[in-house]
Amino acid sequence: MIWVLVLVFVVCLVLRFPIAFSLGLACLSYLLVKGIPLIIVPMKMYSGIDVFVLLSVPGFIMAGNLMNYGGLTERIISFCNHLLGHIRGGLSLVNIGASMLFAGISGTAISDTASMGSIMIPAMKKEGYDTGFSCAVTAASSTVGPMIPPSVPMIIAATLSGLSVGKLFLAGALPGLLLGVGLLFTAYFISKKKNYPKHERSSLGQVVRGFIDTFWSLLMTFIILYGIIGGIFTPTEASIIAVLYALIIGLFVYKKLNFKNIQVVILDSMKTSASLMVLVGFANLFGYILITEQIPQTISSEILGFTTNKYVVLLLINLLLIVVGTFMETIAALLILFPILLKVALAVDVDPIHFAVIAVLNLIIGLTTPPVGVCLFVASSIGKISIGEVAKSGFPFLIVSFVVLILVTLIPEISLWLPNLFTE
Amino acid sequence: MLHKNIGRVLKYGVLISTWGLISTVVIQIICRFTPIATPSWTEEASRIFFIYAMAFAAGLAMKSNYYVHLDMFYSRFSKKFQHLLLMAIPIISLVLFLIMAIYSMRFVMLGFAEKSPSMGFNMGVAFFSMFIMSVSICYYLVIKIIKNFRK
Repeated sequence: MIWVLVLVFVVCLVLRFPIAFSLGLACLSYLLVKGIPLIIVPMKMYSGIDVFVLLSVPGFIMAGNLMNYGGLTERIISFCNHLLGHIRGGLSLVNIGASMLFAGISGTAISDTASMGSIMIPAMKKEGYDTGFSCAVTAASSTVGPMIPPSVPMIIAATLSGLSVGKLFLAGALPGLLLGVGLLFTAYFISKKKNYPKHERSSLGQVVRGFIDTFWSLLMTFIILYGIIGGIFTPTEASIIAVLYALIIGLFVYKKLNFKNIQVVILDSMKTSASLMVLVGFANLFGYILITEQIPQTISSEILGFTTNKYVVLLLINLLLIVVGTFMETIAALLILFPILLKVALAVDVDPIHFAVIAVLNLIIGLTTPPVGVCLFVASSIGKISIGEVAKSGFPFLIVSFVVLILVTLIPEISLWLPNLFTE
Repeated sequence: MLHKNIGRVLKYGVLISTWGLISTVVIQIICRFTPIATPSWTEEASRIFFIYAMAFAAGLAMKSNYYVHLDMFYSRFSKKFQHLLLMAIPIISLVLFLIMAIYSMRFVMLGFAEKSPSMGFNMGVAFFSMFIMSVSICYYLVIKIIKNFRK
């Protein structure tokens, strides 16, 4: 009967039903065919959302949005401009550098592409950069966001696996930085080849002033990490501390927030979170059905029947996740596939934290992989060019992302060094 | 008028629940760092506020098209088929959430027999959030269907 579940889900996805509703309709069809009482729908929905760690999701989204409304994006860009603007292709480096700093605040790739792209793409076009290159840099750099803490996909992975959120945040940091540095070098070499412009070197005073301007927002990432890893706060408490901190900074330091736009930010953040939680709720029901049908066990034994070589298994998982990541939203893909694939990974002795990093990295690289990477779509709509042109210009960045993925897959220490260091 | 009021109820529901969530977590943190013992109800209260915030916001998210979908194949369909899908998707989705709304009420009834562990309130109150979630999504789906037919 599992074919009913899969068939309805795939058909609904193809016909452009929202992903959450596709899951719901697939589950509903399965339950009707199987004659299982439908009261299980609200029951599983409720139990899926009623998880304490998930309370941190709206908190981190809200803190990021409050910081953004408080004028953080412009300040980060300005600081990076003082720091990197004098190098050849300065604005492309600023774009990546700002994404790395902004990553600590926003936590999602699509919001990073949208907020950074709306400022950086027009600015780069104005300075004579190719539109395709401007869009490609923006899309590629936004994938750093979900790796550097706080990361919403990592919270979801922690919820699904029972792993520590703090350890997962730390595990994603180094691969995120590696990806960011790789993208910086790629942008530099392309800029040098195409002779893109550079700015005057900023004075030390300007750099210091830029740093002071962004210091308060960067401190937020430190407070979150220190609080969780130091055992001072739970992830949920850390997210609320981040909200209060962002409110104080926005009201009294940046002075851009007021009562009216605080309400707007809350509503906007809660709508984003609710759309995720409906997905989480239906995914919980979907997962329950998969478990009752013993699908994770079947897939696990099928793969392990084919090979028990750890690296071949990881290669197969990487390929699957990249393909899924190109067309499916990161959280949705994680909710559906992570519990199943984790079982396979554990069977070949892959550390669960290492595997969570691999899974998230795959899915976010998928966001910039043609033909349908979501970040490519967002960037191309801001730059008003075809997705094909963005994909063509983004090819070198994609190669670098794959190299980082291979390194992270083959060398577990890249992911595990920081969590081990701090827990020891 | 009714449409505006429903929107307002959901909006204030989100805002009150969110501030409730923030306040309870703040109480929890303050108690941790002071000699005051952390009240046992804070975790449960914050979870209820969170679930209600999500329930109220789910309908508003429907209204503002926050639910992500896959665009890969849609552009390849004929205009006629795209138009047909535009009409059919909200109707089929409405069926899903109507069923969920009906069964949510049964879920609420089940909850009446249970008490929450630390606050001692009726669990039906907590489960009622699922009814609000499904009914608010249904409401904005109906609005969407009416708009589509008018177009």
